[in-house]
Amino acid sequence: MAPRVFEETVLPHLNAAFNYARWLTRNDADAEDVVQDACVRAMRYFSSFRDDDARAWLFTIVRNAWYNRISRRPGVADAGPLDPQDEPPDGALDPEERLLQQHTVALVRSALERLPVDFREVIVLREIEGLSYKEIAAVVRVPIGTVMSRLARGRERLTAALKLAAPMEAPR
Amino acid sequence: MSCEQVERDLDAYLDRELNAESATAIRDHFGRCAACRRQAAERETLSRLIRSAPYYSAPDHLRARVMAQTTRRRSVRRAIGWAVAAVLTVSVGGGMSLLQLASSRGDAIAEEAVNSHVRAMMANHLFDVRSTDQHTVKPWFQGKLDFSPPVADLSSIGFPLVGGRLDYLRGRPVAALVYQRQQHTINVFVAPEEAGMPGLNDALAQASVRSVRGFHVHHWNHGGMSFWAVSDLNDAELTRFSRALAAP
Repeated sequence: MAPRVFEETVLPHLNAAFNYARWLTRNDADAEDVVQDACVRAMRYFSSFRDDDARAWLFTIVRNAWYNRISRRPGVADAGPLDPQDEPPDGALDPEERLLQQHTVALVRSALERLPVDFREVIVLREIEGLSYKEIAAVVRVPIGTVMSRLARGRERLTAALKLAAPMEAPR
Repeated sequence: MSCEQVERDLDAYLDRELNAESATAIRDHFGRCAACRRQAAERETLSRLIRSAPYYSAPDHLRARVMAQTTRRRSVRRAIGWAVAAVLTVSVGGGMSLLQLASSRGDAIAEEAVNSHVRAMMANHLFDVRSTDQHTVKPWFQGKLDFSPPVADLSSIGFPLVGGRLDYLRGRPVAALVYQRQQHTINVFVAPEEAGMPGLNDALAQASVRSVRGFHVHHWNHGGMSFWAVSDLNDAELTRFSRALAAP
């Protein structure tokens, strides 16, 4: 049995933790606070960590840290400006393709950020982090049936939002 | 199967969460129904779009802060952990005398493969040769290894090759091939089946799957080579990848 050292177990998933927190909070500063808080909790609970899947375990802790934060500060969940931050352009694309790609990325990002958090988080965990329904159910603490209906409804809303948004200008 | 049933199960089908029987029924239905096919294509487009959304990596100052915290909380328990690690490393180096069973040998290699994967990701040293061209990556290993690893490009099914490097497993130089799946990195360690990897041929001849600290590890032997694929990618997609690589 290999040693379960905190650094080797948790830190490799720091990017995933931050990405999830960033999509929950929708801004860098809050996401950093949530992840730092989560890591302190993870260290505290580490001796009771039995499960093999450190990434899903860390997601659960990130979510608790975030939830704790918004329940202490009512209104913070959906408040706050969405900070504008563009993705680095892909150098392999020609200028027109690059513009189109930036345009699309901005549209998708804004549509996803506008989605209620219940839908947003299951979509991020499924589509971006690639978790299974069972893993998502464990992180979010809802039955698998609820995960499925949230995913379906979230995707329907996104489809509608992106179709509506397509002919318009990209948000800056 | 009716259109209503297909619509109900479409998400689970596209997420590969549906049982084989229902999945076949849906595929049969697609053959007959253009409307449902269109619906599925639309959902797939949406998935691709969502995956183009930004992936937010932890900023360096946050990583540094968390690591500083970890060091401060260094505990006796952790010191013991390191001592165990040291003992294990010594015994691994000394010819695996502690680990007798093929399965624990496999576990130890899986563990080591995950360590290599993590080390490469954290030290930002994924590539000695960075190229999406298999005809650049394969010759690069010439003269660096006493075998020639098979290098396949799987970009047609969404797993582009991004490069390779020299790595070590069981104290033996191996080829590490790096593939990308959206934001996930896959490391594939390749070495000849026999030399330096005893015991892998019998009990582990069949493809095997393990989960180590949140990473999935797939192992199989093919064409005289041993393969270890490591990633934080979900199991279904890593299985698809491993199958494609094992049966080009």
